Amino acid sequence: MAGGAALLASGSAARAALAGGALAGGALGGAALGGGALGPSALAAGPSDADQLARLLALERRLADAYEAALARDAIEPALGELLLDHEREHVRGLEQSLGKRSAEAEAPRSGIDLASRRAFARSALGLERAAVDTYRDVLTTFHNDRLLQPLGSIMACGAQHEVALRRVLGEDLL
Amino acid sequence: MPRVHATLTRRGALGGAAALALASCGGGDPAPTGGPRAGSGAGLLSSIVALEHAGIAAWGAIAQALSGDARRYARVIREREIDNAERVAVLVRKLGGSPPKARADEDYARLFPRLNDDADALHFARDLEERLVRAYLEGLRLLPDPDQRRVTAEIAADQAQDLAVVHALAGGPAAPQPFVTGTS
Repeated sequence: MAGGAALLASGSAARAALAGGALAGGALGGAALGGGALGPSALAAGPSDADQLARLLALERRLADAYEAALARDAIEPALGELLLDHEREHVRGLEQSLGKRSAEAEAPRSGIDLASRRAFARSALGLERAAVDTYRDVLTTFHNDRLLQPLGSIMACGAQHEVALRRVLGEDLL
Repeated sequence: MPRVHATLTRRGALGGAAALALASCGGGDPAPTGGPRAGSGAGLLSSIVALEHAGIAAWGAIAQALSGDARRYARVIREREIDNAERVAVLVRKLGGSPPKARADEDYARLFPRLNDDADALHFARDLEERLVRAYLEGLRLLPDPDQRRVTAEIAADQAQDLAVVHALAGGPAAPQPFVTGTS
Protein backbone atom coordinates (compact mmCIF):
# COMPACT_ATOMS: atom_id res chain seq x y z
CA MET A 1 0.00 0.00 0.00
CA ALA A 2 1.27 3.46 -0.83
CA GLY A 3 2.40 5.55 2.08
CA GLY A 4 -0.22 8.16 1.40
CA ALA A 5 -3.00 5.60 1.48
CA ALA A 6 -1.76 4.31 4.83
CA LEU A 7 -1.77 7.83 6.18
CA LEU A 8 -5.33 8.36 5.02
CA ALA A 9 -6.42 5.02 6.45
CA SER A 10 -5.02 5.89 9.86
CA GLY A 11 -6.79 9.22 9.63
CA SER A 12 -10.11 7.47 9.09
CA ALA A 13 -9.46 5.24 12.08
CA ALA A 14 -8.68 8.23 14.22
CA ARG A 15 -11.86 9.95 13.13
CA ALA A 16 -13.92 6.88 13.90
CA ALA A 17 -12.37 6.61 17.34
CA LEU A 18 -12.93 10.26 18.00
CA ALA A 19 -16.45 10.53 16.70
CA GLY A 20 -17.74 7.09 17.51
CA GLY A 21 -15.71 6.28 20.57
CA ALA A 22 -15.77 9.30 22.77
CA LEU A 23 -19.33 10.34 22.12
CA ALA A 24 -20.86 6.94 21.63
CA GLY A 25 -18.91 5.54 24.55
CA GLY A 26 -21.25 7.23 26.97
CA ALA A 27 -18.59 9.42 28.49
CA LEU A 28 -21.31 11.01 30.55
CA GLY A 29 -22.90 8.06 32.26
CA GLY A 30 -25.83 8.02 34.64
CA ALA A 31 -23.69 8.40 37.75
CA ALA A 32 -21.86 11.35 36.25
CA LEU A 33 -25.12 13.05 35.37
CA GLY A 34 -26.18 12.68 38.99
CA GLY A 35 -23.13 14.66 40.02
CA GLY A 36 -21.45 11.99 42.11
CA ALA A 37 -18.76 11.02 39.63
CA LEU A 38 -17.83 14.48 38.46
CA GLY A 39 -14.74 16.24 39.71
CA PRO A 40 -14.75 19.59 41.51
CA SER A 41 -14.45 21.62 38.30
CA ALA A 42 -17.55 19.94 36.92
CA LEU A 43 -19.49 20.98 39.99
CA ALA A 44 -18.60 24.64 39.62
CA ALA A 45 -21.31 27.26 39.10
CA GLY A 46 -23.00 27.33 35.73
CA PRO A 47 -24.82 24.77 33.65
CA SER A 48 -23.76 21.16 33.99
CA ASP A 49 -22.24 19.27 31.08
CA ALA A 50 -25.45 17.26 30.82
CA ASP A 51 -27.50 20.46 30.58
CA GLN A 52 -25.20 21.72 27.85
CA LEU A 53 -25.43 18.47 25.91
CA ALA A 54 -29.22 18.53 26.19
CA ARG A 55 -29.19 22.05 24.75
CA LEU A 56 -27.06 20.90 21.82
CA LEU A 57 -29.21 17.83 21.27
CA ALA A 58 -32.35 19.98 21.02
CA LEU A 59 -30.66 22.08 18.34
CA GLU A 60 -29.51 19.03 16.40
CA ARG A 61 -32.98 17.50 16.54
CA ARG A 62 -34.42 20.77 15.25
CA LEU A 63 -31.97 20.73 12.33
CA ALA A 64 -32.76 17.11 11.54
CA ASP A 65 -36.48 17.88 11.61
CA ALA A 66 -35.91 20.85 9.34
CA TYR A 67 -34.02 18.88 6.67
CA GLU A 68 -36.52 16.05 6.89
CA ALA A 69 -39.42 18.45 6.35
CA ALA A 70 -37.58 20.19 3.51
CA LEU A 71 -36.99 16.89 1.74
CA ALA A 72 -40.65 15.95 2.14
CA ARG A 73 -41.73 19.31 0.66
CA ASP A 74 -39.05 19.42 -2.06
CA ALA A 75 -37.65 22.54 -0.40
CA ILE A 76 -34.07 21.36 -0.84
CA GLU A 77 -32.22 19.62 -3.64
CA PRO A 78 -32.56 15.93 -2.68
CA ALA A 79 -28.87 14.91 -2.75
CA LEU A 80 -27.84 17.84 -0.58
CA GLY A 81 -30.82 17.40 1.71
CA GLU A 82 -30.07 13.71 2.27
CA LEU A 83 -26.41 14.46 2.97
CA LEU A 84 -27.12 17.18 5.51
CA LEU A 85 -29.90 15.14 7.13
CA ASP A 86 -27.55 12.16 7.48
CA HIS A 87 -25.04 14.39 9.24
CA GLU A 88 -27.64 15.74 11.65
CA ARG A 89 -28.81 12.22 12.45
CA GLU A 90 -25.22 11.22 13.22
CA HIS A 91 -24.91 14.18 15.55
CA VAL A 92 -28.21 13.37 17.25
CA ARG A 93 -27.17 9.75 17.68
CA GLY A 94 -23.83 10.66 19.25
CA LEU A 95 -25.34 13.20 21.62
CA GLU A 96 -28.15 10.82 22.63
CA GLN A 97 -25.66 8.10 23.45
CA SER A 98 -23.66 10.49 25.59
CA LEU A 99 -26.70 11.80 27.42
CA GLY A 100 -28.43 8.49 28.01
CA LYS A 101 -31.82 8.75 29.69
CA ARG A 102 -31.78 12.52 29.75
CA SER A 103 -31.98 12.55 25.94
CA ALA A 104 -35.75 12.40 26.19
CA GLU A 105 -35.78 15.83 27.86
CA ALA A 106 -34.19 17.57 24.89
CA GLU A 107 -37.17 18.54 22.75
CA ALA A 108 -36.70 20.18 19.40
CA PRO A 109 -38.38 23.61 19.32
CA ARG A 110 -40.83 23.97 16.42
CA SER A 111 -40.64 27.33 14.75
CA GLY A 112 -38.84 29.40 12.19
CA ILE A 113 -38.56 26.94 9.32
CA ASP A 114 -39.62 28.46 6.03
CA LEU A 115 -40.50 25.76 3.52
CA ALA A 116 -42.11 28.05 0.94
CA SER A 117 -39.29 27.57 -1.58
CA ARG A 118 -35.80 26.13 -1.83
CA ARG A 119 -34.34 29.56 -1.44
CA ALA A 120 -36.51 30.39 1.54
CA PHE A 121 -35.59 27.13 3.22
CA ALA A 122 -31.86 27.59 2.59
CA ARG A 123 -32.09 31.02 4.19
CA SER A 124 -33.85 29.77 7.31
CA ALA A 125 -31.63 26.68 7.57
CA LEU A 126 -28.58 28.92 7.36
CA GLY A 127 -29.89 30.83 10.36
CA LEU A 128 -30.42 27.61 12.29
CA GLU A 129 -26.95 26.32 11.45
CA ARG A 130 -25.40 29.64 12.48
CA ALA A 131 -27.22 29.55 15.80
CA ALA A 132 -26.09 25.99 16.40
CA VAL A 133 -22.44 26.80 15.67
CA ASP A 134 -22.62 29.78 18.02
CA THR A 135 -24.09 27.56 20.73
CA TYR A 136 -21.38 24.92 20.29
CA ARG A 137 -18.76 27.63 20.62
CA ASP A 138 -20.30 28.82 23.88
CA VAL A 139 -20.61 25.29 25.22
CA LEU A 140 -17.02 24.42 24.32
CA THR A 141 -15.80 27.43 26.27
CA THR A 142 -17.23 26.19 29.56
CA PHE A 143 -17.57 22.43 29.10
CA HIS A 144 -15.86 20.33 31.77
CA ASN A 145 -15.44 16.85 30.32
CA ASP A 146 -12.16 16.92 28.39
CA ARG A 147 -12.96 13.72 26.52
CA LEU A 148 -15.88 15.28 24.71
CA LEU A 149 -14.30 18.57 23.69
CA GLN A 150 -12.82 17.34 20.42
CA PRO A 151 -15.89 15.34 19.33
CA LEU A 152 -18.13 18.32 20.07
CA GLY A 153 -15.68 20.53 18.20
CA SER A 154 -15.84 18.21 15.20
CA ILE A 155 -19.64 18.52 15.15
CA MET A 156 -19.40 22.30 15.42
CA ALA A 157 -16.97 22.26 12.48
CA CYS A 158 -19.44 20.23 10.44
CA GLY A 159 -22.15 22.79 11.19
CA ALA A 160 -19.83 25.53 9.99
CA GLN A 161 -19.38 23.61 6.73
CA HIS A 162 -23.15 23.27 6.39
CA GLU A 163 -23.30 27.06 6.38
CA VAL A 164 -20.99 27.09 3.35
CA ALA A 165 -23.13 24.48 1.59
CA LEU A 166 -26.26 26.59 2.18
CA ARG A 167 -24.60 29.82 1.02
CA ARG A 168 -23.71 27.94 -2.14
CA VAL A 169 -27.41 27.14 -2.64
CA LEU A 170 -28.23 30.82 -2.16
CA GLY A 171 -25.56 31.86 -4.67
CA GLU A 172 -23.84 33.97 -2.02
CA ASP A 173 -20.19 34.41 -1.30
CA LEU A 174 -19.09 31.19 0.42
CA LEU A 175 -17.20 32.90 3.29
CA MET B 1 15.70 8.73 -6.84
CA PRO B 2 12.74 7.14 -5.03
CA ARG B 3 9.34 8.58 -5.79
CA VAL B 4 7.60 9.97 -2.71
CA HIS B 5 3.82 9.85 -2.55
CA ALA B 6 2.34 13.28 -3.21
CA THR B 7 0.17 13.25 -0.09
CA LEU B 8 3.14 12.61 2.14
CA THR B 9 5.07 15.30 0.36
CA ARG B 10 2.37 17.88 0.93
CA ARG B 11 1.82 16.99 4.56
CA GLY B 12 5.53 16.82 5.23
CA ALA B 13 5.97 20.21 3.63
CA LEU B 14 3.54 21.80 6.05
CA GLY B 15 5.21 20.24 9.06
CA GLY B 16 8.62 21.34 7.87
CA ALA B 17 7.45 24.85 7.18
CA ALA B 18 5.77 25.13 10.58
CA ALA B 19 8.91 23.82 12.28
CA LEU B 20 10.88 26.45 10.43
CA ALA B 21 8.65 29.18 11.81
CA LEU B 22 8.74 27.78 15.32
CA ALA B 23 12.52 27.47 15.22
CA SER B 24 12.69 31.13 14.36
CA CYS B 25 10.99 32.07 17.63
CA GLY B 26 13.24 34.44 19.50
CA GLY B 27 16.27 33.42 17.47
CA GLY B 28 17.96 36.79 17.58
CA ASP B 29 16.24 38.17 20.61
CA PRO B 30 17.67 38.55 24.10
CA ALA B 31 16.83 35.78 26.57
CA PRO B 32 13.49 36.42 28.27
CA THR B 33 13.54 37.40 31.91
CA GLY B 34 10.14 35.98 32.70
CA GLY B 35 7.75 34.03 30.58
CA PRO B 36 4.67 31.88 30.65
CA ARG B 37 4.36 29.25 33.34
CA ALA B 38 4.33 25.59 32.44
CA GLY B 39 0.87 24.34 31.53
CA SER B 40 -0.39 27.80 30.59
CA GLY B 41 -0.95 26.79 26.99
CA ALA B 42 1.70 29.17 25.65
CA GLY B 43 3.72 26.40 24.02
CA LEU B 44 0.76 24.95 22.16
CA LEU B 45 -0.46 28.39 21.14
CA SER B 46 3.02 29.26 19.84
CA SER B 47 3.00 26.07 17.78
CA ILE B 48 -0.32 27.12 16.28
CA VAL B 49 1.05 30.57 15.45
CA ALA B 50 3.99 28.89 13.71
CA LEU B 51 1.63 26.70 11.73
CA GLU B 52 -0.45 29.74 10.79
CA HIS B 53 2.67 31.52 9.51
CA ALA B 54 3.39 28.52 7.31
CA GLY B 55 -0.26 28.51 6.26
CA ILE B 56 -0.18 32.17 5.26
CA ALA B 57 2.83 31.52 3.04
CA ALA B 58 1.21 28.38 1.66
CA TRP B 59 -2.01 30.20 0.75
CA GLY B 60 0.12 32.77 -1.09
CA ALA B 61 1.63 29.96 -3.15
CA ILE B 62 -1.77 28.34 -3.64
CA ALA B 63 -3.27 31.61 -4.88
CA GLN B 64 -0.46 31.95 -7.42
CA ALA B 65 -1.27 28.52 -8.82
CA LEU B 66 -5.02 29.15 -9.08
CA SER B 67 -7.04 31.45 -11.32
CA GLY B 68 -10.41 33.17 -11.38
CA ASP B 69 -12.79 32.67 -8.47
CA ALA B 70 -10.52 30.08 -6.88
CA ARG B 71 -7.67 32.58 -6.73
CA ARG B 72 -9.98 35.16 -5.19
CA TYR B 73 -11.02 32.72 -2.46
CA ALA B 74 -7.39 31.76 -1.86
CA ARG B 75 -6.57 35.39 -1.23
CA VAL B 76 -9.54 35.82 1.09
CA ILE B 77 -8.53 32.73 3.06
CA ARG B 78 -4.94 33.98 3.28
CA GLU B 79 -6.24 37.20 4.85
CA ARG B 80 -8.29 35.16 7.31
CA GLU B 81 -5.17 33.20 8.27
CA ILE B 82 -3.33 36.45 8.92
CA ASP B 83 -6.11 37.47 11.31
CA ASN B 84 -6.05 34.05 12.96
CA ALA B 85 -2.29 34.18 13.49
CA GLU B 86 -2.63 37.57 15.16
CA ARG B 87 -5.50 36.45 17.39
CA VAL B 88 -3.51 33.48 18.65
CA ALA B 89 -0.36 35.59 18.99
CA VAL B 90 -2.33 37.91 21.27
CA LEU B 91 -3.12 34.94 23.51
CA VAL B 92 0.58 34.06 23.71
CA ARG B 93 1.46 37.63 24.64
CA LYS B 94 -1.22 37.69 27.34
CA LEU B 95 0.62 34.79 28.95
CA GLY B 96 3.89 36.72 28.87
CA GLY B 97 5.25 34.80 25.92
CA SER B 98 6.74 35.87 22.59
CA PRO B 99 4.91 34.32 19.65
CA PRO B 100 7.10 33.00 16.83
CA LYS B 101 7.77 35.41 14.02
CA ALA B 102 7.14 34.57 10.39
CA ARG B 103 10.07 33.89 8.10
CA ALA B 104 10.38 35.24 4.59
CA ASP B 105 7.95 33.64 2.11
CA GLU B 106 10.90 32.24 0.16
CA ASP B 107 12.04 30.25 3.18
CA TYR B 108 8.71 28.46 3.31
CA ALA B 109 8.36 28.17 -0.45
CA ARG B 110 11.46 25.99 -0.62
CA LEU B 111 9.62 23.41 1.46
CA PHE B 112 6.36 23.42 -0.48
CA PRO B 113 5.54 20.89 -3.20
CA ARG B 114 5.48 21.99 -6.81
CA LEU B 115 1.99 23.21 -7.72
CA ASN B 116 1.61 22.61 -11.44
CA ASP B 117 -2.11 23.12 -11.81
CA ASP B 118 -5.38 23.77 -9.98
CA ALA B 119 -5.64 20.16 -8.83
CA ASP B 120 -2.19 20.28 -7.19
CA ALA B 121 -3.03 23.58 -5.53
CA LEU B 122 -6.37 22.38 -4.19
CA HIS B 123 -4.88 19.15 -2.86
CA PHE B 124 -2.25 21.15 -1.04
CA ALA B 125 -4.94 23.53 0.23
CA ARG B 126 -7.02 20.63 1.53
CA ASP B 127 -4.08 19.13 3.42
CA LEU B 128 -3.20 22.52 4.84
CA GLU B 129 -6.72 23.25 6.05
CA GLU B 130 -7.15 19.77 7.51
CA ARG B 131 -3.98 20.25 9.47
CA LEU B 132 -5.18 23.62 10.73
CA VAL B 133 -8.58 22.21 11.72
CA ARG B 134 -6.83 19.41 13.57
CA ALA B 135 -4.52 21.83 15.39
CA TYR B 136 -7.41 23.95 16.65
CA LEU B 137 -9.52 20.97 17.70
CA GLU B 138 -6.56 19.60 19.65
CA GLY B 139 -6.21 23.03 21.19
CA LEU B 140 -9.78 22.80 22.44
CA ARG B 141 -8.89 19.71 24.41
CA LEU B 142 -5.55 20.89 25.73
CA LEU B 143 -5.87 24.59 26.45
CA PRO B 144 -6.74 25.34 30.07
CA ASP B 145 -8.31 28.79 29.89
CA PRO B 146 -11.91 29.54 28.79
CA ASP B 147 -10.84 32.58 26.75
CA GLN B 148 -8.24 30.48 24.95
CA ARG B 149 -10.85 27.86 24.23
CA ARG B 150 -13.34 30.42 22.95
CA VAL B 151 -10.85 31.84 20.45
CA THR B 152 -9.77 28.33 19.48
CA ALA B 153 -13.37 27.24 18.91
CA GLU B 154 -14.15 30.30 16.81
CA ILE B 155 -11.11 29.79 14.62
CA ALA B 156 -11.74 26.04 14.34
CA ALA B 157 -15.17 26.85 12.88
CA ASP B 158 -13.61 29.35 10.47
CA GLN B 159 -10.98 26.81 9.40
CA ALA B 160 -13.70 24.25 8.76
CA GLN B 161 -15.40 26.77 6.49
CA ASP B 162 -12.17 27.43 4.64
CA LEU B 163 -11.86 23.66 4.17
CA ALA B 164 -15.46 23.55 2.90
CA VAL B 165 -14.61 26.17 0.29
CA VAL B 166 -11.66 24.06 -0.85
CA HIS B 167 -13.98 21.06 -1.15
CA ALA B 168 -16.42 23.11 -3.20
CA LEU B 169 -13.70 24.53 -5.46
CA ALA B 170 -12.51 20.97 -6.10
CA GLY B 171 -16.01 20.09 -7.31
CA GLY B 172 -17.23 18.11 -4.31
CA PRO B 173 -19.77 18.73 -1.55
CA ALA B 174 -18.78 21.52 0.80
CA ALA B 175 -19.56 19.35 3.83
CA PRO B 176 -18.71 15.74 2.97
CA GLN B 177 -18.43 14.30 6.50
CA PRO B 178 -20.57 14.45 9.66
CA PHE B 179 -17.51 14.86 11.91
CA VAL B 180 -14.82 17.27 10.75
CA THR B 181 -11.64 16.18 12.48
CA GLY B 182 -8.94 17.20 10.02
CA THR B 183 -7.95 13.57 9.50
CA SER B 184 -9.76 12.57 6.32
